[in-house]
Amino acid sequence: MLRRLGILIVALSVSLSWAPESIAQASESSDSSEYLIKAGFIYNFAKFVEWPAAAFAQPDSPIVIGILGTDPFGNLIDRIVENKKIGARGLVVKRLKWSTDLKDLKDCKILFVGASEKAHLDDLVQIVKSLPILTVGETPGFAERGGVIRFVLEDNRVRFEINVEAARQADLTISSRLLTLARIIQQANADTRKPG
Amino acid sequence: MILQNLSIKRKLTLITMLTSSIALILSSVSFLIYDLVSFRNLLKQDLMTQAEIIGYNSAGAMEFKDEPAATATLSALTAKEDIVTAVLYKPDGKIFAHYFRTNKALPGFLPSHLQEKGYRFEAGYLEVFQDVTINGEHVGTLFLQSDMRQWSLRAKRYANILIIFVLVSGLFALFVSSKLQGLISKPILHLEDTMRMVSSNKNYAVRAVKTYGDEIGRLIDGFNTMLSEIQQRDTALQSTNGELKTRTQELEQEVFQRKQTQEELLSAKHAAEDANRAKSTFLANMSHELRTPLNAIIGYSEMLEEETRDSGKIENVQDLKKIQSAGKHLLSLINDVLDLSKIEAGKMGLHLETFEVSQVIEEMVTTLQSAAAKNANSIHVHLAENVSVMKADITKVRQILFNLLSNACKFTDHGTISVNVEQIKSEDRDWIRFQVHDTGIGISAKQKENLFQEFAQADASIARKYGGTGLGLAITHRFVQLMKGQINVESEPGQGAIFTVQLPAQVVIESTESKQSESAGKVLAASSETKTGLETILVIDDDPSVRDLMSRFLTKLNFHVVAAANGEEGIRLAKQVHPLLITLDVVMPDCDGWAVLNRLKSDSELAEIPVIMVTVVDNEAMGLELGASNYLIKPVDRDRLAVLVEKHRITRSTTITDDNPVPLSYVADRPAGSKTAGTRTSRSRRN
Repeated sequence: MLRRLGILIVALSVSLSWAPESIAQASESSDSSEYLIKAGFIYNFAKFVEWPAAAFAQPDSPIVIGILGTDPFGNLIDRIVENKKIGARGLVVKRLKWSTDLKDLKDCKILFVGASEKAHLDDLVQIVKSLPILTVGETPGFAERGGVIRFVLEDNRVRFEINVEAARQADLTISSRLLTLARIIQQANADTRKPG
Repeated sequence: MILQNLSIKRKLTLITMLTSSIALILSSVSFLIYDLVSFRNLLKQDLMTQAEIIGYNSAGAMEFKDEPAATATLSALTAKEDIVTAVLYKPDGKIFAHYFRTNKALPGFLPSHLQEKGYRFEAGYLEVFQDVTINGEHVGTLFLQSDMRQWSLRAKRYANILIIFVLVSGLFALFVSSKLQGLISKPILHLEDTMRMVSSNKNYAVRAVKTYGDEIGRLIDGFNTMLSEIQQRDTALQSTNGELKTRTQELEQEVFQRKQTQEELLSAKHAAEDANRAKSTFLANMSHELRTPLNAIIGYSEMLEEETRDSGKIENVQDLKKIQSAGKHLLSLINDVLDLSKIEAGKMGLHLETFEVSQVIEEMVTTLQSAAAKNANSIHVHLAENVSVMKADITKVRQILFNLLSNACKFTDHGTISVNVEQIKSEDRDWIRFQVHDTGIGISAKQKENLFQEFAQADASIARKYGGTGLGLAITHRFVQLMKGQINVESEPGQGAIFTVQLPAQVVIESTESKQSESAGKVLAASSETKTGLETILVIDDDPSVRDLMSRFLTKLNFHVVAAANGEEGIRLAKQVHPLLITLDVVMPDCDGWAVLNRLKSDSELAEIPVIMVTVVDNEAMGLELGASNYLIKPVDRDRLAVLVEKHRITRSTTITDDNPVPLSYVADRPAGSKTAGTRTSRSRRN
C-alpha cells in the first residue's frame, strides 16, 4: 500500500508537469494513474461549471467536493485541490457515507458517486435532483439515469459523458468548452451517445 | 527647353493635365496607403480576435489534454483562407496541436520558441501569439500566422483601380482642359492676330474684341486705348503733313507772286525813273524855252522904260514897270521850278565858301528894304558879337534868308521883322542860327504840317491874296537839309511867326565835287595873289564882234584883254596867262561853254579863276552849278559887267574868299534906279 502510494505520488508529480505523458503513463498501466487523471478532471470540471449564486453562502465559500461511498482516489484528490483556488473560492474534499451522511449531501457542490453506491443511484438522483450539485460517477448508465457527468474509458483514454438535462435540472451552467469535449447523454431511457 | 516654346494652348492643356493628374495620384495614393494601413490594422485586429476565439475554444481541450478536440478546433480555420499556420503550445513550449493550410508541416518555419503575447509583421506574414487561459490560469499559447492574402489582393486590386482611374480621369482632364483652355488662349490669340494685322497693314483702325472682363480683357482694353492714341496721332500727323504741304505750296505761290511783283516794281521803277528823267529834261527845256521870250520881254521893257522916261512920257513908265515886274516874277517862278526839279533829281550840289555872315545879312536887308516898305514894315537886325565867318554855300544861304525875309515882309502888315543871328555850340559843333521873327498873320498848327512841302501854301486863299507858287519854303527846307542844318517854325495864328534856321558854321560835304571846289578855293587864293598885278581878262567867244566889243570895253576899264575864238584855245590861253577872270560864251561850235566851264573848273590849275558866263542861253543855275561866278545874258549890260569886273578886281585885292559882289544884288533889286536891263541875279527870286 505504501509502495503504491509512493508510485502514485511520483506519477502525480510527473503528470502535473508533463501531463500528456503522465496521462499516457496513467492510462497505460495502473488504476492509480487512471484515478489521478480522474481527480484532475474533477478539479477541471469545477473550472467549467457555474453554480447559481444562491448555492454559496459567501462569495468565497469553498467548493466542497464530496466523495460518496468507496473512495477510489485516496488522497490524490486532496493533493490536487490542495491550495488551489477557482476565482475566490478554495476547494474542500469531504468523504461521505450513504447511510450516515445523506444530510450533508446538500453542502456539496461536486459529488463523486463511487461504484459502491450503484444500488442507491436512483434514490440519490431523487435526493439531489433539485440541488445545485454536479454529480460525477463512473458506473455504466450513471448519466442516463440522472447523473450529470460519467467518466468513461475509451481507447485507454479517460473521457466523459454529460447529461445536459440533469445539469439543467441541477441549475448548473456547463461551459460549452466542456461540452465540446464530452459525450452528451439524453435523460432516462435514451441510450444514444453522441460524439463531442 | 521645348516646353517653353509650346503654344499657349498646349501649355494650358499640359498644365491642367499635369496638375490634375498629380493631385489625383497623390490623393489616390494617400487614400490607398491609408486604406491599406487601416485594412492591415483591421486584419491584425481580426486575426487577434480570431486568436482569442480559437484560444478560448481550445482552452478546454488543452485542459483535458484532448488533442483531437484541439486539432478539430484548429481545423475550423480552414474557412479562413489567409491563416496558413495555427499552433497550440503547451505551457512548456511543446507543440500540443497544429494546423497547416497546405497540409505540410513546416517545422523550420515555425517560431523556434514562444514569443510574448501580441502581434508582429514578419516577412509578409502577420503572426499573433495568444495566451490560452482558463479562469486566468495559463494553460498554453496559441500561434496564428496569416499570409495577409486579403491585404495583398486588396492592394493589387486598388493599384489596378488606381491606374485605370488615373488614366480615365487624365483623358477626361485632357478633354475638359482642351475645351476650357480656349477661355484664356482665345483672347490672347485674337490679340496676337490683331497685333500682327496692325503691324503688317499699318492699319490703326483695327480693334481687338474684348470677350471677358479679366486681366486679358484689361490687356485688350489697354491695347485698344494705345491703338486709338496711335491712330489719333497718326491722323494728326497726316493732317499736319497735309497742312504743311498746303502751306509750302502757298509759300511757293507767294514767293512766285512776290517775284512777279518785284519784277513789276522794278520795271515800274525803271519806268518811273525814265519818266522822271523825261520830266527833268522837259523842265530844263521848258524853262529855257520860256526864258528866251522872257528875256526879250524884260530887256525890251527896260529899254522902252528908259526911252519913255527920256522922252518924258511919264504916264507910260508905270505900265512898262508892271510889264517888267511881271516878267521878272515869271522868271523867278521858272527858276524856282527849275531849282526844285534839280533838288529832286539830286543834281543840286553845294559850293562851299568862307564868308562874312554880317555881310550877307546886310546885303539881304538892303535887298528887301523895298519889300518891307511896301507893307510899311520895319526890319531890325541883331547880330551877335561872336558871329564872324561861316563856311557854306553862300548862294543858298542868301536864298534861304531871302525867302524867309520876303515871306515875313509879305505876310506882315505894319509890323516889325527882326533878324537875330548868333553862333551857338551844340553837339560839339559850332552852329550859326538865323532867326526871322515877324508880327504877321501867323501859321496855324494844321498849316505847319505842310509848310515845307512843295506847292503847299497855308491855304488856297493865301495864294490868291499874297501870290506865290508855294515853292519858297520847300526850297529853303531842301537847302537847309543839303547843308545838314535844321529849320523849324514857331507860330500861332495872328501871333506872328518865328522861323529858325540853324546851319553848321563849317558845312562839310563828303562828295568829291565839294572837295574839289574846296581845294579849288584854296588854290585860287594862292594864285590870285601872285597874279594881282596883271589884271588880265580872258574873253572866250566864237563871235568876233562880241570879242571886239568886250575887248574895247574892258580895255577902257583898264584891263588887259586876251581873246579866244573857241573853247580849246580859251583853255590853252587860260593856262598860259592865268587871267584875273574869264568871260565865257555857251553856244559855240565844237566845244560849248558848259564843257569849257567844266574843264576849267575840273583843272586844278585853272579852277580858281572866276568865270562870268555871257550868253543868250538862260541857264544861270547850270552855270552856277558848274562853277561860274556870275551869269550875264546877252545883250550884255555894260554897267553890270563893269561893276562885276571891278568887284572881282577889288575882291581879289582885299578878300580872297568872297567873289560875290554885294553891290550887285543891291543894284539888281532896285531896277527903278538902275540902267541894267536884262540883268539876272540869284537874289531876284521871290515867292
